[in-house]
Amino acid sequence: MLFRIDPSAPEPIYAQIAAQVRSAAARGEVGAGERLPAARDLAESLQVNLHTVLRAYQDLRDAGLIELRRGRGAVVSAGAGRDLTPLTDAVAAVAATARRLGVPPDTTLALVREALR
Amino acid sequence: MTAPARPTRRTTTPVPHRAASTVLTLVVPAVLLLAATAVAFAWRDRLPDPVASHWGPDGVDGTSSFAGLLAVLPAVGVPFAVLAWAIAVFAGRSALTRRFAAGLAVWVAGFAAALTLAMLAAQLDLPEAADAGDIGGGMALAFAVPLALAALAAWVTPGDAALPATAPVPASAARLPLPDGEVATWVRRIDWVHPGVVVAICAAFAAVMGLTTRTWWFAAVLFAFLATLVGGLSSWTVTVDARGLVARARLPRPRVVVPLAEVEHAEVVQVSPLREFGGWGLRMGIDGRVGVVLRGGEGLQVTRTGGRRVVVTVDDSATGAALLNTLAARTRA
Repeated sequence: MLFRIDPSAPEPIYAQIAAQVRSAAARGEVGAGERLPAARDLAESLQVNLHTVLRAYQDLRDAGLIELRRGRGAVVSAGAGRDLTPLTDAVAAVAATARRLGVPPDTTLALVREALR
Repeated sequence: MTAPARPTRRTTTPVPHRAASTVLTLVVPAVLLLAATAVAFAWRDRLPDPVASHWGPDGVDGTSSFAGLLAVLPAVGVPFAVLAWAIAVFAGRSALTRRFAAGLAVWVAGFAAALTLAMLAAQLDLPEAADAGDIGGGMALAFAVPLALAALAAWVTPGDAALPATAPVPASAARLPLPDGEVATWVRRIDWVHPGVVVAICAAFAAVMGLTTRTWWFAAVLFAFLATLVGGLSSWTVTVDARGLVARARLPRPRVVVPLAEVEHAEVVQVSPLREFGGWGLRMGIDGRVGVVLRGGEGLQVTRTGGRRVVVTVDDSATGAALLNTLAARTRA
């Protein structure tokens, strides 16, 4: 797949990388079971820091789009068609609101657990 | 255009390193074959007559005259050496081709020499050829030691000197819209067959060898060797970025590298593995092309300075070719 990043753009580079994988998966260019380039290789190739690529991959894993397996690298997951971004965005909003209101993590988790019943 | 006059016909560039190729494909194999012959003659008085020349599962099952056994050395080693020399001297524009030729010539001559000596060593000071014991260990050594020699020959083969392109990338070569300042990378993975199939093929071959020789440790070593080699070279990753084109397998070597500065232009071509490359894998085409050919159909072909061309069979090669042209044109603006 093609990765394009613009270092001068306001969007962080890790978000640009993650967005490229998301749109490639949405367009069907990368399918379930396909391996993404090793983080080190991609970082060297794009001339960015290794941690930038790792952060992009972690975001994609948290969204359920890829699985990070020891020794096998980043593999597009079977449920990649189901983009969990809305959910992770909502969770991030919950975390931000809890912090803003000064609600301790245990209380927040209890509320989420209650809502999931 | 105000570019200075330059040779336009790529084929006018002579094949480099012909002397080194001749030494590695002809002289070194000849030395190996002659050395084995000399040792054999030194042993002649201590060998039975006729000598054992073939082993079955139950020991010696074939004999030959001393001269007949030694005649196999040039009969096997010389044709391969001459073929490798021709490949290196006439088609060896890429270092990979020259390394392959040197490795091939040295391995075949080394294998013939070592196998002959292993067979003769097993029957030194024996009254009858039939008394010779098992030569499984000798065979394994005869297989492995020349591999190390071949790897050494490939390693000492002179590489390609830097040869930057001077001409601009032709306007007819496809481009990718890439705004200045944007960084782009194109990565594709290519699998020959499913890795499970590779393991199954290697296991089946090793099992047949184990059944026929009844030497199971040999079958196990053979399996490990085949699985490493075939498995290691059956899956490739192609990358096009600001450094140029790199095709790498799971094994670190061999690999195919075209520095961006040496890219003349890239295009999509149709590849016919059997007709153009005589098979699948990392291949040398009859026209001097180097190919990572894992299937038929579309491929990314890069024309490189020095009359060299590289082909990789890969999906979506149009994107890879367009990006390579775009990046090459950027550096020459």
